[in-house]
Amino acid sequence: MGESYNIVFYILSSVAVLAALGVILLPNPIYSALCLAGTMVALAGLFFALGAYFVAGVQLIVYAGAVMVLFVMVVMLFDLRRETEAFSGGPWGFFLKIGAGALALGLIAGAFEISKTGAPEAGDKAAALATSTKALAEVLFTKHVFAFEIISVLLLIVIVGAVTLARSRGGTHV
Amino acid sequence: MFDVGLNHYLLLSAILFSLGMIGVLIRRNAIVILMSIELMLNAVNLSFVAFSHQMNNMDGKIIVFFVMTIAAAEAGVGLALAVAILKRFKEINIRQFEQLKG
Amino acid sequence: MSHSFLIATCLLAPFIGFLINGFMYRQKNPYLAGALATGAAATSFVCSLLLYFDLVRMPAEARNITVTFFEWFGVAGLSVPAAFTVDQISSVMILIITGVGSLIHLFSVGYMSHDERPSKYFAYLNLFLVNMLLLVLGDNLLVMFVGWEGVGLCSYLLIGYWFKDEEKAAAGMKAFVVNRIGDAGLLLGIFFLFAHFGTVNFGALNAAAAQLTPETGWGIVTIACLFLFVGAMGKSAQIPLYVWLPDAMAGPTPVSALIHAATMVTAGVYMIVRLNALYVAAPITMTIVATVGAVTALMAATIGLTQWDIKKVLAYSTVSQLGYMFLGVGVGAFGPGMFHLMTHAFFKALMFLGAGSVIHAMHEEQDMRYMGGLKKYIPITHWTFVFGWLAILGLPPFSGFFSKDEILWQAYHSPRGHIIFWIMGVVGAGLTAFYMTRLMALTFWGKSRVPSKTHPHEAPPTMTVPLIILAVLSVTGGWIGIPHVITHTFHVDIPNVFQDWLSPRLTAVPNQTEADPMLEWIFMGVSVGLAGCSAWLAYYLYVLKPNVLDDVYSKLRLVHKVFYNKYWVDEAYFAFIIRPIVAFSRFLWSKFDVLVIDKATYLISDLILEGGRGLKGYQSGNVQQYALYMVIGLVAILLLL
Repeated sequence: MGESYNIVFYILSSVAVLAALGVILLPNPIYSALCLAGTMVALAGLFFALGAYFVAGVQLIVYAGAVMVLFVMVVMLFDLRRETEAFSGGPWGFFLKIGAGALALGLIAGAFEISKTGAPEAGDKAAALATSTKALAEVLFTKHVFAFEIISVLLLIVIVGAVTLARSRGGTHV
Repeated sequence: MFDVGLNHYLLLSAILFSLGMIGVLIRRNAIVILMSIELMLNAVNLSFVAFSHQMNNMDGKIIVFFVMTIAAAEAGVGLALAVAILKRFKEINIRQFEQLKG
Repeated sequence: MSHSFLIATCLLAPFIGFLINGFMYRQKNPYLAGALATGAAATSFVCSLLLYFDLVRMPAEARNITVTFFEWFGVAGLSVPAAFTVDQISSVMILIITGVGSLIHLFSVGYMSHDERPSKYFAYLNLFLVNMLLLVLGDNLLVMFVGWEGVGLCSYLLIGYWFKDEEKAAAGMKAFVVNRIGDAGLLLGIFFLFAHFGTVNFGALNAAAAQLTPETGWGIVTIACLFLFVGAMGKSAQIPLYVWLPDAMAGPTPVSALIHAATMVTAGVYMIVRLNALYVAAPITMTIVATVGAVTALMAATIGLTQWDIKKVLAYSTVSQLGYMFLGVGVGAFGPGMFHLMTHAFFKALMFLGAGSVIHAMHEEQDMRYMGGLKKYIPITHWTFVFGWLAILGLPPFSGFFSKDEILWQAYHSPRGHIIFWIMGVVGAGLTAFYMTRLMALTFWGKSRVPSKTHPHEAPPTMTVPLIILAVLSVTGGWIGIPHVITHTFHVDIPNVFQDWLSPRLTAVPNQTEADPMLEWIFMGVSVGLAGCSAWLAYYLYVLKPNVLDDVYSKLRLVHKVFYNKYWVDEAYFAFIIRPIVAFSRFLWSKFDVLVIDKATYLISDLILEGGRGLKGYQSGNVQQYALYMVIGLVAILLLL
């Protein structure tokens, strides 16, 4: 990979991190939603760089396109502009930050450790990149066809559930 | 260090994940919490794709495919629930919903 | 029929009767319960008979049937099998227990026919039978002890049978507690014996005792036998542990007949006869036994002179007669002691059952001052009672004569006897004659003082048949133990069957001297004569010339007061023993239990409550807090990896 690859990576990753920070720190929920969309787009770019074209496409279409729109719609529907307190808890905040920071440290350590023991195989990357979508399709419909079907059923259930929930008058009764 | 390899992707994934986790813990708005969960899922997707690229194994991308599907489904249902609660209680602050205390 | 089958049936038949009656304790039919129980008792009697006949067929030196059913427990150095032995001694006992017991079961069917829980009563009776059989059939001290405790329990249950009356329940408690005091002594005796001899088996103990000499072990045996006698004092109601027996009259009369006349109270005598070799090796203890027996015989007779309750008179009479039995075994006359046990079982059970019949006829009235002239209302009861009366008087040829006279003679003649024992025994016999005749006079003869609304009527056959059978036994039972002196003098060749039967099992006291038949006849004459005169005196005072009685009474007022109040023994026990113990317990309760122990438990519970309250904070309902906990946990796991 050349220098361009590296630069692309750093730019995209910076965007992703900044946008993530925006998600969690901005008090206005609309801004949070837009930042999340930005994170997703940046990640889609990273997927492209990694040669996972199909996944990147799906990320853009489904995630950034459908899920974020859903979020934004809900936020707008209820006009959640006014937020007197964005962050919950007082002294708890300290503990939260400490816990999360420690977790990050732990995760990073774990990630590095695993990557050291794992055996990376150098394969034919160019060939894999070229036919990646076709190869994905092949594996998906043969090796994982059962999971695929189950997922379809799951989506059906989710649709039914969402419609039922939306029909209710809200609250604790059915 | 400037030569980007697997470790960099993993580091990015770890950072995004922990940011998402912090968001879950410190935000008051239930919708924003759901968004932070989506962020975490995205971070995990990134690490899967990075590994799949490194190992030349298609399974990583398959998993990502499924994870996205499920995340989308979960977001839909979660938002439907949030809408239902919002309609009833007119409140989105999760600190108001502490009835399950001991 | 194998021996183990017979012994097992003998023990299990009443036990099964107990179980069946026990489970059906709510049913109301007395005839069903009674038939079941009497059938079980009769089965045991048949087994006892068969075992006896088997014994008879065996040669005299080897008359022993021992059966071990299983190893009860074996710990270091001590192996205790569940073994049962039928030999000359125990065969006599089981015949008495099951025979007289069956008759009493039959009597109870009629007597308890109006009771509201007949099955419970018969269950208890059967359980008693099992335990008594265990007691006498056991081949070692521990099996005997199981039976010993068991009969104590059944005694408590049956004395306090009408427990809704507080006095009756208290009487049951008293019996059990006093018994328990004796049992502590018994246990100590067993421990001593095991520590010294290393075994609790009767045969082994007797054999080891024969080897003893004064230097090697008379001291420990003396102490052990003394403790065993303490147990006998409790169970067989000797001084000072006799106080429960008069109170035990609160129970139903057949119970008094069975337990407190014929069987349970004889357990102490049985134990001493069983361990006769050991006792022969402990002369000091034997003297103590004889002394206690003689004093008890005399003292109880004096109290019996004054009582008005018909059952109480019989109770004190039982205590007195038991004193005679202990006097007998205490001087080494083990055979005569057992013989008196047997004849006493016959005539005392007869008299108790007769008293039951009287009480039944008088509609639960027990005070003799309201009786009198019952002879014409309840003739069968009266005539059977007469035979019991003649027997206890000791008049020939009735059974009591042979047994009591032999004891009196041995009380003087035995190397461990003394003229004083004889004197006390003879005086006691005189008193016995007096108060028993007094009982007869007040109850059956003379003018009737029965209130007009009580219409006395004779008892049903279930009650009269046992009376008749026991009367026959009271008359004839003595004829198997005719002393040699009589048969010798009249040159008639009738053996002393009873003594010959038992003698292979008995150890003779050393240094026996030759008996002078002339002296024997003189003693016999004195005691019979004294008894006859006392009886005549009582008849005179109570039937012929009642007004003279008031004169006598006014002259002996102080003596009468002492006798009537039973020497204030119960009151003394209460003041000097019971009251301090209760006060001490109360002190311990209020000062120690409440303040210290309860506080400690409250401390622990408060600690836990506070802890729980503190931990409650962790369940706030705040979802983010829970998520934080998850994060912390995750961090911890990752750190560990």
